[in-house]
Amino acid sequence: MTPLLYPGGHIGWLVTGLQTARAVLGDTRFSSLPEGKRDPVKEISNQLSPDALPTGMFVNMDPPQHTRYRRLLSKHFTVRRVRELRPRIQEMTDRLLDGMESAGGPVDLVTAFAKPLPTLVTSELLGLPEEDRAEFGRHVDVLFSLSTSKEEMNQSLMGLGAMLNALIVAARKDQGPDVLGRLTAETDLTDEELLGITIVLLIAGLETTTNMLALGTYTLLRHPDQLADLRGDWSLIDDAVEELLRYLSVVQVGPLRVAAEDFAFEGLSIRKGEVVAVSLPAANRDPLGFDDPDTFDIRRGVTRHVAFGSGPHQCMGHHLARLELAVGYESLLRRFPRLELAVPPEEIGTREMMVTYGVLGLPVRW
Amino acid sequence: MRIEIDKDLCCGAGTCVRFAPDVFDQDDEDGTVILLDATPGDEQRAAVEKAAEGCPTAVISIT
Repeated sequence: MTPLLYPGGHIGWLVTGLQTARAVLGDTRFSSLPEGKRDPVKEISNQLSPDALPTGMFVNMDPPQHTRYRRLLSKHFTVRRVRELRPRIQEMTDRLLDGMESAGGPVDLVTAFAKPLPTLVTSELLGLPEEDRAEFGRHVDVLFSLSTSKEEMNQSLMGLGAMLNALIVAARKDQGPDVLGRLTAETDLTDEELLGITIVLLIAGLETTTNMLALGTYTLLRHPDQLADLRGDWSLIDDAVEELLRYLSVVQVGPLRVAAEDFAFEGLSIRKGEVVAVSLPAANRDPLGFDDPDTFDIRRGVTRHVAFGSGPHQCMGHHLARLELAVGYESLLRRFPRLELAVPPEEIGTREMMVTYGVLGLPVRW
Repeated sequence: MRIEIDKDLCCGAGTCVRFAPDVFDQDDEDGTVILLDATPGDEQRAAVEKAAEGCPTAVISIT
């Protein structure tokens, strides 16, 4: 944990160690409330004034408020519940691969597979109608861009809000089996709370998984020996997913916290109001946490990386994400035994200016 | 091996169930931890240690 000069002159902290990252994210004296948060890369968080956000955005809360939402939602993302989704996710995956196969290569894996799969899964979980999915994707792109202006940001939030409000009205009426339908039937959450929750779930479920699917495929293709090992023994798939999560750590900015009081932490004197940025990619390559951390090794057997964060805010959808990735990679590689990049690797652009790292496109053929 | 859990701090991540499904379960109502076996045999030790270490809110203690 070292002092960091933030854009605009604030002096806060940067966390790069694995143990310290876990300690900070597990310590609620480092608050998740939005007030006073500053982005370490560009002043972007401050553009969203807290009163513009709907209630229910539990990522910006501390216990006990956060705990209430977490308890209401966790039942939809348990190990058991996610396991039940497997056949359906396999079906959606196979249908996308059918589409790729009949189109013939080369195709852009991002638009043909990596983006639609999480969109289908998340949309179905929430009961988002087919016709709204493209518009939703556009809003998410804007909200996640580091180069978005305040006006664009607010416009996208409003557009998204209108779409999702309609969805909540429909869910209250239909009370279907999807997460939103269940939440309207089984809880006393208000429409505004449901809006905040839905925004969090949709944004969290899409961008991250999309980038892991595409960048993960790229990484496997660039490590042909390990890819061959995986093709020879599919029982390695879960270990491969864990190592890809650690090695790629696609959430490249944040999580952010703000010290809620003055206190001593790991021998450092923390002052109220100081911002703390935890670098998940750095923590996941901490040499004290992992041997030879910059080496990609699907046989590493990694169990305690922080790709999903840590502490009470750790990603609630991690089992679902792991399942989408395992089914996604394995089905893609099985369907196309000779999958390869269709352009030289140096021509593949990366998402430098986005909160979530990834490739801009991934032309492949087979 | 004796396991204790602090359910109040549990955030329902289910990491324990991922590593040690014979020892931990999740409540169907709120996702929080259910301790199936507070004194599992030594064959569960490695799995339980992974669960304790992986728990995002350090809810599990082993004595």
